Amino acid sequence: MTAPAGSARLRRLRKAYFGSPLSALMTLLSAAILGFILWKLLDWGLIHATFDASGTQETCAAKGGACWSVIATRWRVILFGIYPYEEQWRPALACLVVAGVIVLSCLPRMWSFGKLALTWTIGTIVFYTLMRGGILGLASVNEQQWGGLPLTLFVFVATGIIGMPLAIGLALLRRSDYPVIARVSGWIIDTIRSLPLLSILFTCAIVLPFMLPGFLIGEKLYRVVFGAALFFAAYQAEIIRGGFQGIPKGQEEAAKALGLSYWQRMGRIVLPQAFRLALPATINQFVIAFMETSLIVVVGFMELLAAGNTAFKTGEWKFAYAEVYVFIAAIYFAFVFGLSRYGAYLEARMNVGHRKD
Amino acid sequence: MDLTAPAIELTDLDKFYGTFHALKGISLTVAKGEKVVVCGPSGSGKSTMIRCINQLEEHDGGTIRVFGTTLDDNVGLIDEIRREVGMVFQQFNLFPHMTVLENCTLAPMLVRKTSRADAEATAMRYLEKVRIPDQAQKYPGQLSGGQQQRVAIARALCMQPEILLFDEPTSALDPEMIAEVLDVMVTLAQEGMTMICVTHEMGFARKVADRVVFMDKGEIIEEAPPEDFFGNPKSDRTRLFLSQVLGH
Amino acid sequence: MAAPSIWRSKRFRGAAIQAGFVAVLVALIIGATLTARANLSAQGLTSGFGFLWKSTGWEINFTLMETTTTDPYWWYLLMGLLNTLFMGVIGLAGASILGLIVGLMRSGRNPAARLLGTIYIELFRNLPLILQLFFWYALANALPNPRNSLAFAGALLNARGIYLPGLVIGRGTVALAVLAILVSAALAVWILASRRFRQIEPTRQRRLALCSTAAGLALAALAVVLGHDPSQPWITMPKLAGLKIDGGFRIQPEFYALAIAIMTYGAAYVGEIVRGGFKAVGRGQMEAANALGLSPWQVFSRVRFPLAFRAMLPILINQYVWLIKATTLGIAVGFSDFFMVIASSITHSGQTLEFIAILMGGFLLINFSLAAVLNRLNRAIALKGHQTTGAT
Ligand SMILES: Nc1ncnc2c1ncn2[C@@H]1O[C@H](COP(=O)(O)OP(=O)(O)OP(=O)(O)O)[C@@H](O)[C@H]1O
Ligand SMILES: [Mg+2]
Repeated sequence: MTAPAGSARLRRLRKAYFGSPLSALMTLLSAAILGFILWKLLDWGLIHATFDASGTQETCAAKGGACWSVIATRWRVILFGIYPYEEQWRPALACLVVAGVIVLSCLPRMWSFGKLALTWTIGTIVFYTLMRGGILGLASVNEQQWGGLPLTLFVFVATGIIGMPLAIGLALLRRSDYPVIARVSGWIIDTIRSLPLLSILFTCAIVLPFMLPGFLIGEKLYRVVFGAALFFAAYQAEIIRGGFQGIPKGQEEAAKALGLSYWQRMGRIVLPQAFRLALPATINQFVIAFMETSLIVVVGFMELLAAGNTAFKTGEWKFAYAEVYVFIAAIYFAFVFGLSRYGAYLEARMNVGHRKD
Repeated sequence: MDLTAPAIELTDLDKFYGTFHALKGISLTVAKGEKVVVCGPSGSGKSTMIRCINQLEEHDGGTIRVFGTTLDDNVGLIDEIRREVGMVFQQFNLFPHMTVLENCTLAPMLVRKTSRADAEATAMRYLEKVRIPDQAQKYPGQLSGGQQQRVAIARALCMQPEILLFDEPTSALDPEMIAEVLDVMVTLAQEGMTMICVTHEMGFARKVADRVVFMDKGEIIEEAPPEDFFGNPKSDRTRLFLSQVLGH
Repeated sequence: MAAPSIWRSKRFRGAAIQAGFVAVLVALIIGATLTARANLSAQGLTSGFGFLWKSTGWEINFTLMETTTTDPYWWYLLMGLLNTLFMGVIGLAGASILGLIVGLMRSGRNPAARLLGTIYIELFRNLPLILQLFFWYALANALPNPRNSLAFAGALLNARGIYLPGLVIGRGTVALAVLAILVSAALAVWILASRRFRQIEPTRQRRLALCSTAAGLALAALAVVLGHDPSQPWITMPKLAGLKIDGGFRIQPEFYALAIAIMTYGAAYVGEIVRGGFKAVGRGQMEAANALGLSPWQVFSRVRFPLAFRAMLPILINQYVWLIKATTLGIAVGFSDFFMVIASSITHSGQTLEFIAILMGGFLLINFSLAAVLNRLNRAIALKGHQTTGAT
């Protein structure tokens, strides 16, 4: 007998799709659902859609599909909010800079503390200068006028930059040898984790000004970013702690036996290994943090989602909410899906590395 | 099912994994009450062969007959045969969320519809036979490897099967536990159970086997009573294998 | 050799560092509280919880029990908490059921179903929940006006909400009936799952569970019959009356948009957890069950699912806590959950610190008790002893 060729493959396929009555039913049902949705989407989004900027509610309705005209006419509001119109090349450039920095830090060759810190510092300074202006001949633009995609990216990046060191600090405190410190930081982490992010943002935006001495109050945006960073840090601290637990006990003991100090042990032996183990979960946490930036609409910021809301709140476009949300969803999806695929790739890469040792 | 027919008849059995030919026309007949030991180098297809018998693997060609019933893709037949064919695995595969007793009574109650009282009585009888009645209320994770494997044997016996298949039942065990499992298997053999046993325990093969089957690269190379197999192997491959297994 | 200075003593240093750590934290808290009190009393607000017994003077748009504007703050807070729990229960239940289906599709052998499951998960998990919520809410609001309601088997669907045919019974009766059903269902699950009932025959066990469920249903029916006002008709059908709908049972767009968003989004995460759980079940256990002659359903219900469930539960607990917290998004569309009631109370009364303390206390209470109950369950069903045989 020879290896089963074409007909056998066909048989195997038939078995996979129609192996039992239940399986056949599932195949048909899934195909029907998928086909229906796909066809509806194509029909709405492409075949009967209006693409040129001159479309109105009537002309679009006549064609019967999506009215992408709303995007064609209002995309600058969606992407940049109420940032001064003539200056909008600046947020556009700033977004590109952040995207570049993010892509750079995803390259394994950039993974050293020095390189990452340098890239991010430069990136942040360039971003801030472009957005805020006031020097180098750039007109000054107040934070309250920031909006759209750059604001989303700013909140995300700032959350990460502030949140990560906070997370490391909290994680180290939680595994401290001093029982009181370990216990108290454990309480702090658990408490923050069981509070809704929205309540923390709300507290930072509205309540915190009462509780801080005048010189510390600062811009609302920075207070909210701090709140988001704190929340991120509480979750990330637990992820890093999970990484600590995955390190064999012998590692730290060996370092101690070699006479390394606490900071040498942490910096050279424990943290690098913990980060490696925690990398997939960390990326996942960043993905969630990116999606959660959209919560700041509730405390009154014009980030991507809120800017989108205003794009169809005017009378003439009121009907076109689906088109706007699909557009925004596509932006979020591209970013989030890309990042999570990257996380999956890293995880696979790490598993391969593990099998070798 | 005809209990006078040969217990197992494999004819020209073929099995493919993708394009890899794992079993190349295996033919083997086992009479009721016979004990057959299967050995051979790693990857030779021993597990694949016995897993085809209770259809944990589907075969691609040839026929499998159990007590005269020919296996095809009729699901009812497969269930009927699994009821009569017990299996003991290398990794024990006990259900970790059930006590030892529950492991043993699960299938009799669900498949044979035995009442709980009867199933428990039977289970205790077999647990005594494998010499661990006192562990009945423990969980598998609380037992040693040898004890777990004896529970696995008891669990298979509780279905009161006509045939027992063993897939390297002792190779996951520490040396001192091997003997306690082999003891149980010898007792079973002496009581007349039909057994097909993949194992590299040559002492066991000498003691209880009616026939030893040697497999290599998906084929049966040699098939002989233990005296001939160990004393006067015909094939070079068998000789090489025996020198490696017995050599040190 | 000089006596070592007290600073070099390990014990002293430890005590000093810990005391310093706590002192800094306490100082921060006290400082913040004092500043806040000074700032608030400058605005003429007195601190303390006396205001809880003052009446509010404003309305909440969704309550499970009778509420008027003369009710005090504590009652409003209770209603908000109840709404959060209600939304949480519905959201968690929906997310779990849908997530189980999606997860099963993803871990099954049928490639078409796997593809559908994958698309579902990737789509719903990779978009912000609040975006999805806005979409559902906009969709709900874009439905036709009441006069052009979509009719569907006696129910009406329009921009004002979903109008279902309803029984004419009081809220107290409903609460009683729901309680009876929940208790009996819990009892049935306990009978089926508890070790205490392992001793009796499986058929009797099932009959007992069935009896408990039936008793619960009967009790609920009795409550409904007794609670019904004989002068009223039994059933109310939604009908168009002028520009609005009369009768029936209305589900507000704010409510169902949030419920749908939490369920569908949660299901994507639960689906992944379910798939992970099934992947963690060793193949050997399933093979052993097959070799014993168990039917596919028996293999699934007795071996595969119980083992997968044990693997999922610890991660599910975190996900459930997360989903409960997600109910606070209600404020974005105007569903009066606990958080929204607190936020409105702050704007109306100015008692900022007190309400923030209540908010935190409320969520700590909900989430810690949820986690405590589930962790107890987790410990109760954890596998005993060392697990040698792992996955694959
Ligand atoms: N599920 C599978 N997919 C692909 N190839 C497989 C699969 N199972 C087994 N094989 C291949 O089939 C061959 C026979 O495997 P089998 O497990 O029967 O060997 P064996 O004789 O039992 O070896 P061992 O003594 O190591 O258990 C091996 O080469 C193995 O790589
Ligand atoms: Mg094998």
